Amino acid sequence: MASSTTSTVYIHVIEDVISKVRDEFINNGGPGETVLNELQGIWEMKMMQAGVISGLTERSSGQKQPTLGGPITPVHDLNVPYEGNEEYETPTADMLFPPTPLQTPVPTPLAGAADGSMYNIPTGSSDYPTPVNDSGGNTDVKGGRPSPYMQSPSPWSNQRTPLSVDVNVAYVEGRDEVDRGTSHQPLTQDFFMMSSGKRKREDFAKQYPNGGYNIPQQDGAGDSTSEVAKAEGSNGSYFLGRCDSATTAKSKILAHLARSSSKIPQLDGPIPDPYDDMLSTPNIYNYQGVVNEDYNVVNTPAPNDLQAATPAPVAQNDIGHDDDDEPLNEDDDDDDLDDVDQGEELNTQHLVLAQFDKVTRTKSRWKCTLKDGIMHISNKDILFNKAMGDFNF
Amino acid sequence: MATFELYRRSTIGMCLTETLDEMVSNGTLSPELAIEVLVQFDKSMTEALESQVKSKVTIAGHLHTYRFCDNVWTFILQGASFKSEDFVQNVDRVKIVACDSKLLSQ
Repeated sequence: MASSTTSTVYIHVIEDVISKVRDEFINNGGPGETVLNELQGIWEMKMMQAGVISGLTERSSGQKQPTLGGPITPVHDLNVPYEGNEEYETPTADMLFPPTPLQTPVPTPLAGAADGSMYNIPTGSSDYPTPVNDSGGNTDVKGGRPSPYMQSPSPWSNQRTPLSVDVNVAYVEGRDEVDRGTSHQPLTQDFFMMSSGKRKREDFAKQYPNGGYNIPQQDGAGDSTSEVAKAEGSNGSYFLGRCDSATTAKSKILAHLARSSSKIPQLDGPIPDPYDDMLSTPNIYNYQGVVNEDYNVVNTPAPNDLQAATPAPVAQNDIGHDDDDEPLNEDDDDDDLDDVDQGEELNTQHLVLAQFDKVTRTKSRWKCTLKDGIMHISNKDILFNKAMGDFNF
Repeated sequence: MATFELYRRSTIGMCLTETLDEMVSNGTLSPELAIEVLVQFDKSMTEALESQVKSKVTIAGHLHTYRFCDNVWTFILQGASFKSEDFVQNVDRVKIVACDSKLLSQ
């Protein structure tokens, strides 16, 4: 029994992995044996904290202490990236919040563009790099709370509406819907800047830390999407045959939908973790993407689940004429179960990871043969070589 | 050689991923090397499960959700019971993720 317990197998796996990567660490200019031992030590420590292995106290603790305290020389401190931008930080803060707001748009494109390129943020939005730069010297209202600002622009973008001047009432109303409907979308700025192009630019420059930077870059995108909004507005009114009094309402709703549809290209971007993208290594340690391209035949399905889920509700929104006449069927899925599923993804949920040999179904009876699996149920890890499943749908 | 990244979601895989994340974040380790370690983990884990584990389990329950996408089956069971010669476990809800075993041997 001792030879086949879960703990034994895990220990064997750890040792196997470490021994097989030892060459990579030592030869060819790798980090060295010390780093390798540190990796093993931390790995084993985490496993013991998780309670899945036992009997390693001597080795891991003995190795941990010298290595952790000793020659860990960080090559590059990636946790605080903006410290490397000292040449840009001060001028950015000064230029973004000068005493005269009229001067703001002029110098910021230089600093903002440089900041955007330095961070390699794929969305191209200047939202994310700027708050990091300005967290030190940001005296603006939004800068007063940098963490919600960085994590999602929705509180920030929601905050903008009370500050805006109501020159064009229809646009303000439409933008309110946009704010509520589209959270953490950099494209919402496009619409703000679009409407700002018709209003006072100085107000926007003051409200945006990077307002001046936004104006030249995002007008183009804003133009196209607002044209789409208008086109859909006219199509929608034609489609439904409504009278003109309802056209404005329709165009607002469809403008919202157009913005939702314009979300499609960006929905699968690094939206979920803008904070992590900034403060950890952006685009350098993108190992998920690299491995998926080069090594993996089958990806872990969790990212597929998320990506498969997002196009579906957006695709429903694209059918504009369903809005008023037919229900959107939003509640067809079992929402409770799905939310719980995504919320308890890894730790609390019981999980079985395995390979399948065969999956068959007869009427509502499903049978499957699995092999080489790890089960995590009731907070325990159980391994199996073969499993037979018999489910009733 | 292709590997299943499936096992990285297990406890041991998550511990390794977290460890590597920390080490890359503080610059001790390069991202490329971290990826190599993860790939080696995939291989070692798969091989260990084939060779070192000998137990057999029976799973029964009500199938709430089934999904087959990208050659991966995902089942969500309710009221499931796991039986082996050593133990019996009952859980309210379990997710089963299974990759196609034939893909590795191609």
